[in-house]
Amino acid sequence: MNIESDKNEPKTKTSVKNVLASVKLTIFLMSLTALTVLAGAWCPQESASGKEKVVEQFGPDAASLLSQLGITDIYHSPWFLSLIAMLTLNMIACSFMRVFPRVKLLSKPLPFLAGKDIGKFPVNASVVLAKEEKSALASVALKLASKGFKVSTSEEKLLAEYGKYGRLAATVTHIGLLTLLVGVTITSWTGFSGFQPVLLNSHLDFHESEHSKLWVGKLPDWTVRVDATRREDHPTGEPKQWFSKLTVLGKDGKELVTQEISVNTPLSYKGVDIYQSSWGLDHIVLNFNGNERRLDLRPMGKLYAAFLPLDKDTMMLFSVRCDGSPIKVFAKRPDWEAPRIISEISKDKPAKLGPVSIMLVKTMPVTGLQYKCDPGLPVTYAAFAFIIIGVLMAAIPHRHVWVSLETASPAAKPSGDGSDEIATGMQSAEKGNQKVLYFGGRSVKAKVGFERLVKDLERQIAAEFGESNIVPVLKTHIDVESDSQKQVNPEKAGSKKEQVLAGTASGAGNTENAQGES
Amino acid sequence: MSEMQMALTNTAGITSVMSFWVFAAANGFKNRKNLLVKIGSGTLILAFTSLTAAIIIRGIDAQRFPLANLYESLLWFAWATMGGYLLLAKAYGVRQLGWLASLTALLMFLYGSWLPQSQHDIQPLVPALVSYWRWIHVPPLIISYALFFLGGLSGFIQLYQAGRIPSLVSAAITVVLALSAVVLGTFTSVDTAWLQILFAGASLVGSVISFRLLQHIDKTRGDLRSAEIYDDVSYRCIAIGMPALTFGIITGGLWANHAWGTYWSWDPKESMALVTWLSYAAYIHLRVHRECSAEKLALVSIVGLLLTLMTFLGFNSLGLGGLHSYGKFK
Ligand code: HEM
Repeated sequence: MNIESDKNEPKTKTSVKNVLASVKLTIFLMSLTALTVLAGAWCPQESASGKEKVVEQFGPDAASLLSQLGITDIYHSPWFLSLIAMLTLNMIACSFMRVFPRVKLLSKPLPFLAGKDIGKFPVNASVVLAKEEKSALASVALKLASKGFKVSTSEEKLLAEYGKYGRLAATVTHIGLLTLLVGVTITSWTGFSGFQPVLLNSHLDFHESEHSKLWVGKLPDWTVRVDATRREDHPTGEPKQWFSKLTVLGKDGKELVTQEISVNTPLSYKGVDIYQSSWGLDHIVLNFNGNERRLDLRPMGKLYAAFLPLDKDTMMLFSVRCDGSPIKVFAKRPDWEAPRIISEISKDKPAKLGPVSIMLVKTMPVTGLQYKCDPGLPVTYAAFAFIIIGVLMAAIPHRHVWVSLETASPAAKPSGDGSDEIATGMQSAEKGNQKVLYFGGRSVKAKVGFERLVKDLERQIAAEFGESNIVPVLKTHIDVESDSQKQVNPEKAGSKKEQVLAGTASGAGNTENAQGES
Repeated sequence: MSEMQMALTNTAGITSVMSFWVFAAANGFKNRKNLLVKIGSGTLILAFTSLTAAIIIRGIDAQRFPLANLYESLLWFAWATMGGYLLLAKAYGVRQLGWLASLTALLMFLYGSWLPQSQHDIQPLVPALVSYWRWIHVPPLIISYALFFLGGLSGFIQLYQAGRIPSLVSAAITVVLALSAVVLGTFTSVDTAWLQILFAGASLVGSVISFRLLQHIDKTRGDLRSAEIYDDVSYRCIAIGMPALTFGIITGGLWANHAWGTYWSWDPKESMALVTWLSYAAYIHLRVHRECSAEKLALVSIVGLLLTLMTFLGFNSLGLGGLHSYGKFK
């Protein structure tokens, strides 16, 4: 079986097409891609964290070297993009030349096999029957069916298959991967995205959107106003959730939609999604004896703080936890160990510090809004579904069991190596011209489990219908061992031909190649 | 941490140590093997059960799904390793794997118990983690990591049974060096740049040397029949781990899209998971292409184990995951 499939595949021709459709190339490209992504994971990316971060981490010289090598923006480098392009070509070539054509084999029926062929499988057994030959076959059928096999019988022969659709794994996964590329391309050519910190009562527009160079999309002409934004805390003071009430305004300023968003619940309008992505306090406005003054806030742990230098030595410090909470006023001088709290102000409680009266006018929150328009998303999501289903299917082992009920005669003696062991069974069968049940098969993936299954089957049939309770044939164990010797050491196995032959002795190898071609 | 939870976690830790020793002894005393394996399995089942209970109680105490910080993911990892082994043992009777699975679980317990108290305490979640996506996204990832570990460990036994002792030793040293980089990175203040070099250098050099050493075969060791079983077990672990990893990465993307509006942002941890995914995709193709010997595949599964270790624990401990900080406002 393997010899045949091997013949079908061109061996020596190394045309461009064949290289492009080779799995060796796939593995090579995948390894290179993995290494590239690894480098990208290791080195901070300019597009995500800025150039400064790279310099900070590696120093200016190393940073400029990394930048020249393209490692600081690796996912946009020509190197990475051509890797992806090569992988795509490789996948398309493989898919159309090797993977998709296999789908046809699914509907091709396999023949029933006689005992002598069954004996060639890596996993096989036979039981000399003492009684009720027919019901022995029926019993095997029942047992296999209960294990999830699809059983078909014809007179004294049986063929059972398990996990047929597992064979579509490669097709489904690869369709998924190609679909993913389509989805990502649609998005990159027509979508846009961005982030904008927006103050309370200000507007989000889309002018600073990011999109690809090859862009054919259009930016919205509507805007979004932030009507309210707040933070909710855990009792410990850790932030629990952020909220923003948004109103979509038409070109003419008409209010179209109002909705409150929070992390994990975005606003969607005309294909654009707006997300709550961060939150903070931007500044406070204080009134000093009638003069308003704006002080920018900086995050400091769980608090926000503003600084106001009074003179060379003295600094005033205002700290606030969230909007609505009172503001603590500190003073700091170099000769003090820590800032000293001097007052507390809130909306309705001004503070008097000597001649100065300080009033809180407002605390201005800022909400970090992330937005995106992703027209390829449905395609991408469909691709995700295909990929998940495909890799799940790849875990399903594909198994065949053949069974044949025969009158033992020297002619039916199974050939192939390991016949010594079979002879034991044969001799006893020959004496009375008894019926022998041969069964065997192969499993692509999860071979050990399959051996157990066949052995269990053998034991059960021998116990129920066997001539004696002694299991007459136990070829499996030894066969697999000698087989593993060949597999373990393929480098030593000599030519490829020998390997293939070894594969024949052990029945199907471990690929789908052997499927359906016997 | 409630007393009940503490008691159960400690029971799980102690019994995993016991099952490790019993399984190890089972490999030494051939004539008592069956009895010892039974005791080892029983102890491991006890460890698994008490850890299951500990995790459930932690969830009840915390009033949330108990998988939110490093300590909790270590518990889950130990849980999945033990559970995965018990399933494999049931399906394949692979007792040799027992001591390695127990060892992995107990290392995770040790690692977890050395973490600062704040990790052990139940703490409120940052806004980004308050989502039902958390329990859809994270458990499959941890389970896939555990399966990949079991796959790599089976690879080790495969090498042993196939008599590739020098290669096995070199691969084992590689994994130990990588692990020590992670441990040093978590618990000491050694410069992470050195530890990155240690991890990456050991992995790279160690893998190359292990591949080179494959040609040295000690025919007196091992058992080829067993080698074949472990080859198959390794493949099973990876074949089941792969959909779990795929599911985890994709649901992570769906969650990110739901929360931030982008399903992929090349965050280091994300990228590292992609590297792992690609390497196991390469493994699967090497398999179906069938040009690779079982021993080479065993080494590939061990390289996969190193990448899994990097993804699961390496990135944070070696100072590479720092970009991903939730809810920080710049
Ligand atoms: C990028 C270029 C790729 C190429 C050229 C390629 C090629 C192939 C080929 C030729 C097969 C063998 C099909 C068969 O014998 O039936 C295969 C199987 C498979 N591929 Fe790919 N592949 C690629 C990428 C991927 C990726 C990224 C994945 C993700 C996991 C993947 C998943 C699979 C699966 C699950 C199978 C089925 C394996 C099995 O039957 O157990 N492929 N691929």
